[in-house]
Amino acid sequence: MSLLVARRLTVATRIGGTIVPVIRGLDIALAPGKVLGLVGESGAGKSMIGRSIAQLLPPGFGVTGGTLEFDGKDLVRMPTNARRSLLGRDIAFIPQEPLSALNPVLTIGDQMAEHFTHLGVRSQPQRLARAVTALEAVHLRDAADLLTRYPHQLSGGMCQRVLIAMAFASRPRLVVADEPTTALDVTVQARIVSLMAELQRRDGTAVLFITHDLRLAGRICDDVAVLYGGAVVEQGPARVVLETPRHPYTRCLQLANPALSGPRRALYALPDQMPGLQALANLHGCHFAPRCPLAGPECRVTPPPLSGNARQVACLHSPLTAGIMSPVTLPRPPTAVAADALLTVRGLAKTYRTGTFFRRRDTHAVVAASFDITPGQFVAVVGESGSGKSTLGRLVMGLERPTAGSILLAGQEVTRSSEAARRHRIRTAQMVFQDPQSALNPRRRVADIVTAALAAAGSDKATRARRAGELLAEMGLAPEIAARTPAQLSGGQRQRVNIARALCILPQLLVADEIVSGLDVSVQAQLLALLQRLRQEHAFAMLFISHDLSVVRHLCDRVLVMYRGQIVEQGATEDVFAYPAHAYTKALLAAA
Amino acid sequence: MILLAALGRRLVTAVPILFVVSMLLFAALRVLPVDPAAMSMPPNATKDEIEAARREMGLDRPLPEQYVLWLGRAARGDFGRSIHHRRDAGKLVAEALPGTIELAMAAMVVASGLGLGGGLLLFMLRGRRMEPVAETATTLMMSVPEFLWALLFIFVFGVALQAMPFTGRLDPGMKLPGITGFLLLDSVLAGRPDILWSAMVHLLLPAVALGLAFAPPIMRVLRASLIDTYHEDYIRQARLRGISEGRILLRHALKNAILPTLTLMGVQFGFLFGGSLLVEVIYSFPGMGNLMVDAVRNADLPIIQVVGLAYCVVVLVINSLVDGLYLVLNPRLRPR
Repeated sequence: MSLLVARRLTVATRIGGTIVPVIRGLDIALAPGKVLGLVGESGAGKSMIGRSIAQLLPPGFGVTGGTLEFDGKDLVRMPTNARRSLLGRDIAFIPQEPLSALNPVLTIGDQMAEHFTHLGVRSQPQRLARAVTALEAVHLRDAADLLTRYPHQLSGGMCQRVLIAMAFASRPRLVVADEPTTALDVTVQARIVSLMAELQRRDGTAVLFITHDLRLAGRICDDVAVLYGGAVVEQGPARVVLETPRHPYTRCLQLANPALSGPRRALYALPDQMPGLQALANLHGCHFAPRCPLAGPECRVTPPPLSGNARQVACLHSPLTAGIMSPVTLPRPPTAVAADALLTVRGLAKTYRTGTFFRRRDTHAVVAASFDITPGQFVAVVGESGSGKSTLGRLVMGLERPTAGSILLAGQEVTRSSEAARRHRIRTAQMVFQDPQSALNPRRRVADIVTAALAAAGSDKATRARRAGELLAEMGLAPEIAARTPAQLSGGQRQRVNIARALCILPQLLVADEIVSGLDVSVQAQLLALLQRLRQEHAFAMLFISHDLSVVRHLCDRVLVMYRGQIVEQGATEDVFAYPAHAYTKALLAAA
Repeated sequence: MILLAALGRRLVTAVPILFVVSMLLFAALRVLPVDPAAMSMPPNATKDEIEAARREMGLDRPLPEQYVLWLGRAARGDFGRSIHHRRDAGKLVAEALPGTIELAMAAMVVASGLGLGGGLLLFMLRGRRMEPVAETATTLMMSVPEFLWALLFIFVFGVALQAMPFTGRLDPGMKLPGITGFLLLDSVLAGRPDILWSAMVHLLLPAVALGLAFAPPIMRVLRASLIDTYHEDYIRQARLRGISEGRILLRHALKNAILPTLTLMGVQFGFLFGGSLLVEVIYSFPGMGNLMVDAVRNADLPIIQVVGLAYCVVVLVINSLVDGLYLVLNPRLRPR
């Protein structure tokens, strides 16, 4: 007897008069005490399934067919009050962004007390006692003190523990966790995952685990359902599905994911990206066919049904899936020509002063950082949030004024911010920011954005238009993109434009701050391949700031590990990852 | 404790601001082509008599010296004599200020009540069929200036219905208790419910006229910031915990959405002191507005100076209070 059953569940929205499905004919079943992973890239519809359970779909979206039953009761047609009494009590949700999922103006105690009131705990002392017990169950120390705190006074990991405490406080039968660890640091992620597993086993809770991370799903789920374009393409026991994928999409996703151990291999870069809702609705046949390496004309006739028993696959060519391979040759980094360092950083430090005049508090964001980057070398900076890795990048770029130390860039001292240093830096180094959404001016056209550096240097219109065309071609973007604004681009396209802008006047050094995080695996693989190709063509060096160790291992020659503002370890990537010397590096690698 | 520290910081910055304002006031009024000495003398005074008066008032000395003299006297509470009223300017303002503060506060209560209530209503009507109707109503409210409301109320409630008084602060014949100057407070202190009632009835029309004019921006800002707040993750998370919609609105959303609204209300409260001028004149309300109008008409420099300073002090006090309130309502601003 399954606890949660979806039968032919269809969720749709209306776009310009036509009804466009976002979830199409979903069949899933989750048994009590089991963990079911919903895996897929953004736009696959996995979050929509979670929101259907609470019937809190975005405006304009609704269930148009099929049923979604919890414990034999139809969640879709149930009256609002009946559903509300299930929520938080029998069905609990763990969100993606713990810091923003707690109300900033209410204390943790207020919010927990409210939750226990909803659960029917009448007396205040009882509510307090229950709150303390719940917080202790998620291994938070000083629970009583924590209740008086506000969310902004806690770390992301602590907030997520609070939310998990609330979710499991009522011993719910179903927990829906929507990317619960995506916003957290690697080491915290591992602890949150094991905490959830512990509570899940304790209470025999069924968990619907929504994630984009195949590896994570394989580690904690009993079963997985891989989604593409609103439909399940493959489902079955997690280990079986992820070890021997039978659907080309699952296979390609795995090949697109860089590995943390074993031989370094090239990544499989799926072409394009998941089509938009409208485009999907107009597709005949298999939705993955336009990107699929195995697709033939027979795939474009009717959608293949999900077939099989314990292990179901929706593909006409599933026996051929195992034959999909990554390109054999890993792009070789160009061998260093010049031995002289391009960037020499010595004893670099940045201290922020906070607090009042009388009670000063110094925050040491970067402490005595020393390293070199030779021309054409890719050097990674890894560490968790607050470790100072972004500050280090900003110091190198002159966006922050160092408190101590020196920066030597292409033979010229740029530590002090003089006009000469500024000009030299602009010619030599460029930065790519993490979030292209906010880094690109929404009111300017792509052609203007990517050639802004030329405009500042006073180039004429024709030169700029020509350079824009070259840059877009190099980024693998269609020429018509030049006339669009950032809002008209997809996430992957925007990040390419963001990189193109930095490469406009070819720099010798690129400082890239988390430029592939937040992107889908297939898009990430495309970008990593792009960076490797550009490197071979232009031989620029890069300071690559990232929290993702497997990406770093795939892309970078050297790695700097930062912990609390200090570079605790540095060396060749393979050496550091194979034989980590510092305890923190070991912890980081163990958690990843 | 944090609140006191914040208020203290505010006070420290208030001092230089007051200095600058006093200098501006002094300089601006001295530049005017008005001779305070001639104004203060009877029309048949001789040139010599006026000269003597000028010397007595210190008007023959250089401007900076005059300023220092004036500031020194002002610090001791001596703002000079009103030229028109022939009375101490400071005292005149002290008598008029409580009336205006009472009016502004009453108007603010009306504006906040209407604004917050209307904002919640507008928010709840979003996307419904009634929304355009409510939008039109607020636009209409916004486009009627306060003096038009004031005249309209006099006509409807005062003249046509004869239900409400519309001049002064009290019924004729009633004596001011005169303890603090704040009628609502004094009547309670003196144990005179009749005066309290009369003062409240007299305050009602001008306060509502002012409040009506100031409410629509509050409604709009509250509605907009509620809509923003509803996109926040914690609202969805509260829903996913099964919290009822009413509780989500009042406890989760309003507490966050009120913060930008509060900033606006602080600014408005400052404007209310200036905005009460027309309404005071229309209702013959003995407050700062009327005093100011008279003073400007008569080029009564000492009064203009004190009124200007008083306005500055009131705005600074309001700013500090709003900042304090902000700290109370927004824990993110407090140091850890």
